[in-house]
Amino acid sequence: MEPDDMQDFAAEARRFLDAHAAKAPDRTAVTWGEGDDSMAYFSSLPPEEEAEQVRRAREWQRIRHGHGFGWITGPPEYGGRGLTAVHDLLYDAVESEYDVPDTGVLGVVGLGMIGPTILAHAQPHIKDRWLPAMYRGDAIACQLFSEPGAGSDLASVATRAVREGEDWVLNGQKVWTSVAHHSEIGLALTRTNPGAPKHRGITAFLVPMDAPGVEVRPLRQMTGGADFNEVFLTDVRVPDDHRLGEVDGGWTVALTTLMNERNTVGSEGAGPVAAALSPDHLSALMRATWTWDDRALRGRLAELLVDAMATGYLNDRARRTLRAGIAPGPERSVAKLMYGQNLTRAAHFVSECLGPRIIADTGRWGTYAWSELLLATPALRILGGTEEIMKNILAERVLGLPKEPVTTMAKEVRS
Amino acid sequence: MTADDSELKELRASVREFMEAKSPEEAVRKLMESEPHFDTEVWAQAADQLRLPGLAIPEEYGGDGFGLVELGVVLEEMGRALFCAPFFATVLLAAQALLASGDKEACARHLPGIAAGRTTATLAVAEDNGSWDPALITVRALPDGNGGWRLKGRKCFVIDGTTADLVLVVARTVAGPSLFAVDRSATGLSAEPLETLDATRAMARLTFDSVSATLVGADGAGGRIMARVLDIASVGLAAEQAGGARRCLETSAEYARVRHQFGRPIGSFQAVKHKCADMLVQVELAEASAREAARLATEDAPDFPVAAAVAHACCSRAYMVAAMENIHVHGGIGFTWEHPAHLYFRRAKSSQLLFGGPAVYHERLLDRLGI
Repeated sequence: MEPDDMQDFAAEARRFLDAHAAKAPDRTAVTWGEGDDSMAYFSSLPPEEEAEQVRRAREWQRIRHGHGFGWITGPPEYGGRGLTAVHDLLYDAVESEYDVPDTGVLGVVGLGMIGPTILAHAQPHIKDRWLPAMYRGDAIACQLFSEPGAGSDLASVATRAVREGEDWVLNGQKVWTSVAHHSEIGLALTRTNPGAPKHRGITAFLVPMDAPGVEVRPLRQMTGGADFNEVFLTDVRVPDDHRLGEVDGGWTVALTTLMNERNTVGSEGAGPVAAALSPDHLSALMRATWTWDDRALRGRLAELLVDAMATGYLNDRARRTLRAGIAPGPERSVAKLMYGQNLTRAAHFVSECLGPRIIADTGRWGTYAWSELLLATPALRILGGTEEIMKNILAERVLGLPKEPVTTMAKEVRS
Repeated sequence: MTADDSELKELRASVREFMEAKSPEEAVRKLMESEPHFDTEVWAQAADQLRLPGLAIPEEYGGDGFGLVELGVVLEEMGRALFCAPFFATVLLAAQALLASGDKEACARHLPGIAAGRTTATLAVAEDNGSWDPALITVRALPDGNGGWRLKGRKCFVIDGTTADLVLVVARTVAGPSLFAVDRSATGLSAEPLETLDATRAMARLTFDSVSATLVGADGAGGRIMARVLDIASVGLAAEQAGGARRCLETSAEYARVRHQFGRPIGSFQAVKHKCADMLVQVELAEASAREAARLATEDAPDFPVAAAVAHACCSRAYMVAAMENIHVHGGIGFTWEHPAHLYFRRAKSSQLLFGGPAVYHERLLDRLGI
């Protein structure tokens, strides 16, 4: 049972959503051959359709913000509602019953990860300038962290920032940057002190993406779409007041972002790929592909469903724990790891049911469309931290296993 | 009745303390080689001091009226400690079969003794082929002409079958599978202990040579009763498995922190570290699915049977993975008789197959999902 104020809050959310959105159809129910059969995890829309989607996302965020649901946990002085994470979860649960525009382009990186980082580390007038704009949908933010030589080993960033008077001059290349091509600002990690140990020579800056010298080039991924980008920084001048945290103290700033990343990435989406883990959808697919009686496939389907449902129970428990005011344990990290694996196994299970029908498009509903999910699965084991990194985190932080010692040779290479 | 979080925590702490005192590894090893496979004195203490047998038996039958959530906590702790006792057969199989039968008279006759720890009991379903499917049983029950019944045939894999005071038997009548109660001392009943893969869980073959029996519940209701009992028992088993898996994970992680090879703790090697992380993932899923299924049972939720099937499959696999990897993390020492790792391996494999194994419970899940 929810306490009274929670019930009031949920009722308020329902009134708002009733007035501004339609109830969502049940995305897991399936009538074979009917409806949209898209199984895209990443968007592969033509640019003009994608621009329209971004416009709708901004518009919905503006409406949401106007009614007090744009930044539920944010401080009121920056346009937030000042409520708890539990309210936030509750709103998400209520909103998931409605058919609203997908705001992932704003939310996953910008509002989920960079917003909290700006709040924790920026100067007051920078917070005034950007936070309300971000949560109103006016400013999309991206994360200028990864580099060709610094993926999961983020502390190896090589993009240089050199002080010149009141400004800093940035030079370098960032990569795998989601939504950079729609962003107004980016949070960049740069090297300001090459002589210091690698974690201690990093500084974080907020970079206006329209500053001269910022060049965004779409990077086409293996699914065919271009969700992320390369970002080249050539003599980009950033004023010192756009620095987050101390000079050479950027690693602390990065950790704030990464901590929020684990809370954001990997939560179960209700988008088209929900069908991949839906018992009804998968059984309909087995009927349609005449694999219904295949005992080996049935066994694999059962195993797949066991994992998908157990992952759901894990998420339910994490939510219930949080609702009781207790910080959840490792459930979220485990669920993220499992979510990627569940989708991967589902895609491969389905491709076995489909056989040749997933290797060439016959135009038949619900067959070749699965290739979109199949091609997205390798990314699920990389994004938001590779599986190896996630396992290291679980083993070291939850089980208390020792870190891998840094060898002398590695020290030399890094210095 | 439902305990709140702090009461559950208290329950867990007191059961764990009891297990540490009464079921350390030496005790387990001694009991698994003795007859009976449990310590009657410790069993009496579990009943008198902690009231464990009666925990989930309704108050009207002398129990404390809690449900599967509380039982789950107890079973997780017993699973961690490989506790040798007639708890599983008596409380999860027999008592739940009596409750599921809806036979108030039989419940009033047998449950108070079970709740007080004075009566031990078991449920005999499987026969030589090991199947728990009531449709496949051959033991027959015939009316004896005086309102009673006589059983003929053989049951196998009966947990605590040589020691249980009360044996509930699923036998075939004209009306179909039905549940019967048989007194352990009944004439014509013989019990023969079986050598078992998991020596901490005793099993027997029972032969019924025209044994006098009492019908429990309606004639022909055995299929319905068994469906309910298997759901409850597999969730109880899942809790036990989750507890055992957690123990294997803790043992491995502890060893990986302290054992040095090549000049550093083996847990600092990514290969070992990731093995432990994989175990953690399995254990987290196992606990979540077992506890969630138990919660749905107490709420009498319509999706309980699905959750029970998920918990059974998930925990069976998790325990097996954890028990296997535990041996691997320990290396050569883990493969010795002296090390407890094999006791968990034996329990994990035996539990995984107790109710028929993956192929059977996977189909049960699909069936419940309407697939």
